Amino acid sequence: MKISRRTLFRGALAAGAAGAATAVAGRAAATEHHASAGHEARKASPDAVGMLYDSTRCENCGACTASCKEANGLVKKEVQKSTVGEVDCGGSAAKVKRQCMHCIDPSCVSACMLGALHKEGEGKRDAGGERKGTGVVLYDPGLCLGCRYCQIACAFNVPRFEWKETFPRIVKCELCRHRRDATKEGPLAVANPACCEVCPAEAVVYGKRSELLAEAKRRIAAEPGRYAPRVYGETDGGGTQVLYLAPAGVTFAQLGLPVLPERSNASFSEGISHAPFLHGLTPVALYAAAAFVIRRNKKSEAKPPPSERSDS
Amino acid sequence: MSTHAQARPVAGKIIDFPVLALLAIFGIGAVVIAYRFVAGIGAVSNMNDGYAWGIWEPVNVVVFTGIGAGAYSVGLLCYLLGKGEYHPLVRPSVLLGAIAYTLGGSSIVVALGRYWNMYWLALPSMWNVSSVLLEVAVCVCLYVCVLWIEVLPAVLERAAASRSPGWAARGRRWGARLALAMPYIIALAMLLPTMHQSSLGGLLLIAGTKVHALWHTPLLPLLALVSCLSMGFGAVVVLVTLMNRTWRAALEPRLLRALCLANGGFLLLYVGLRLGDLALAGKLHLLARADWHAGLFAVELAFFVLPALMFFSSRVRSSRPALLLGAMMAVAAGALWRLDAFITCFDPGAGYTYFPSYGEIAVTVGMAALGGAVFAIVSRLVPVVELAEPASHAVHGAGEREALARG
Repeated sequence: MKISRRTLFRGALAAGAAGAATAVAGRAAATEHHASAGHEARKASPDAVGMLYDSTRCENCGACTASCKEANGLVKKEVQKSTVGEVDCGGSAAKVKRQCMHCIDPSCVSACMLGALHKEGEGKRDAGGERKGTGVVLYDPGLCLGCRYCQIACAFNVPRFEWKETFPRIVKCELCRHRRDATKEGPLAVANPACCEVCPAEAVVYGKRSELLAEAKRRIAAEPGRYAPRVYGETDGGGTQVLYLAPAGVTFAQLGLPVLPERSNASFSEGISHAPFLHGLTPVALYAAAAFVIRRNKKSEAKPPPSERSDS
Repeated sequence: MSTHAQARPVAGKIIDFPVLALLAIFGIGAVVIAYRFVAGIGAVSNMNDGYAWGIWEPVNVVVFTGIGAGAYSVGLLCYLLGKGEYHPLVRPSVLLGAIAYTLGGSSIVVALGRYWNMYWLALPSMWNVSSVLLEVAVCVCLYVCVLWIEVLPAVLERAAASRSPGWAARGRRWGARLALAMPYIIALAMLLPTMHQSSLGGLLLIAGTKVHALWHTPLLPLLALVSCLSMGFGAVVVLVTLMNRTWRAALEPRLLRALCLANGGFLLLYVGLRLGDLALAGKLHLLARADWHAGLFAVELAFFVLPALMFFSSRVRSSRPALLLGAMMAVAAGALWRLDAFITCFDPGAGYTYFPSYGEIAVTVGMAALGGAVFAIVSRLVPVVELAEPASHAVHGAGEREALARG
């Protein structure tokens, strides 16, 4: 009975090498894929709506938080969709409001198994009158399994989970889409965030993303001594529909906003995860090859080689 | 050396004291699970919005299925590489896989906040194919079914040996039918783990900078795939050794040695990929910082390198306790990498901290205990384990018989 250790070892190495080669090829393909077809980096739709938060105008009065709770029926709940506070930035205190960033290419939407979190009008089912192109990230609790992968995926730690509820939901800002007014024109027909409506200092305003971005740049240009020199969200993490202005001398990291590459995490993840599948061809080919080899091996096993069998 | 062995139900009481003890441990976990369904996940766990998965997903799913990959590893050898001599290991490792994956899947149901919406998963038209977790979920569900189908031949064999002529006929008829379909089912059993084991690593791709740079790499899926094989081979060696000690299961030292040698190859392949990736990505300087993360990385890598070196030493390969130790380290190595990537080196920022609660630990330990109990019970009911004929005991050394008696 010849020990086939060497053959076995060689087989294992060969299998490993083949796997590595596939993966490396996959990796290369992923990069190429990204550049050509496949998951192209999303660009903001011309109709995208969002918010502009200007930290220098904010007085941390808390009106936004209170109105958000009221507008979203969260008065008696622990979870919040929007918070505001002060952060210490080396001596001086800077204000910061936090809520969903409504990313152009959101990680949560890429991660969500059934599209409970989805861009308005681009989900698996319509929650009612959804329009494509607004880019608002909506939540459909009927399709949510509560897996919390959105929380793992979100670079901004935005989605909240109702840990103490027997029948919990994911809670996050939906830009007060439910407060939209169909009789109005423009962004107010899409949504109407309570926080923006109530802010006495106009520190947070609602509107079309393109217009908000222009406005943010205009403010920086008009008062360069007042602002940090760039708009957070223009390109960060693939771009967000909520934009931030920081006071001069304060970094966005100090405000608690993560430093992110321009390529969205969703695009990075999907590029690598999708590439080896080759649009479903790889699994089919692998299955066919495996079935063929297994059948052949079974047949050759059925008639034992004359020398090898030594039944006692 | 051919101890003419045959898979037979393990003798003895079906529920003996060790099984009862394991079930009691599971009982504690079951109470926690019941309370979770009444009072919510927060009531029993320390999970929070930053560490949303706690230990249930990383341990009960990612680590358990890594151990369950024993079925995948042995299947690759036995069926794809056509190494028929590994047949005796197929049934135990498939049962191990079926149990580990089922427990992983059940743990997910416990961890899902809105489990009642799960039926949507059955509708492919609702799938978000971009979601790595969806791929894992669908693939794991299918694979659990495939694994239990792979357990069926043992059940049908038991039926065929039944004293009731009706059951015996049914067992023979369906056993023969299943044997015809088996190659196509086994092919699925090879394809599905390749897909979801790599996706389990791929889950963290989207977490970006939340995962420490030493662990976040485009190679996450491949590292998960390679290390699930090293965990799987290790788990099978541990399983076979333990079964030999407790149940006098047949054990071919030759197969064990060969498995460990193959495992050494996978362990080194992992180490090569891991270090090569860090070098190519220009991340090696992170190790020079000699901080907490660099330390964890060193420990983790040592767990991969040491068993590989052990397996390549012929002296170690001839010592069964040393092989057992090496195999346990190989399982621990893959588990460590998974825990580091998913928990220890996962930092959502914003001041979030996490350490598992007693409730979470009770569920995780309880699930593992349930796995052990189910393995023992099934092995006593149907022919899974190849037991040496009593007569063939003479081939074992005296020292070994002592060890058996002690075990």
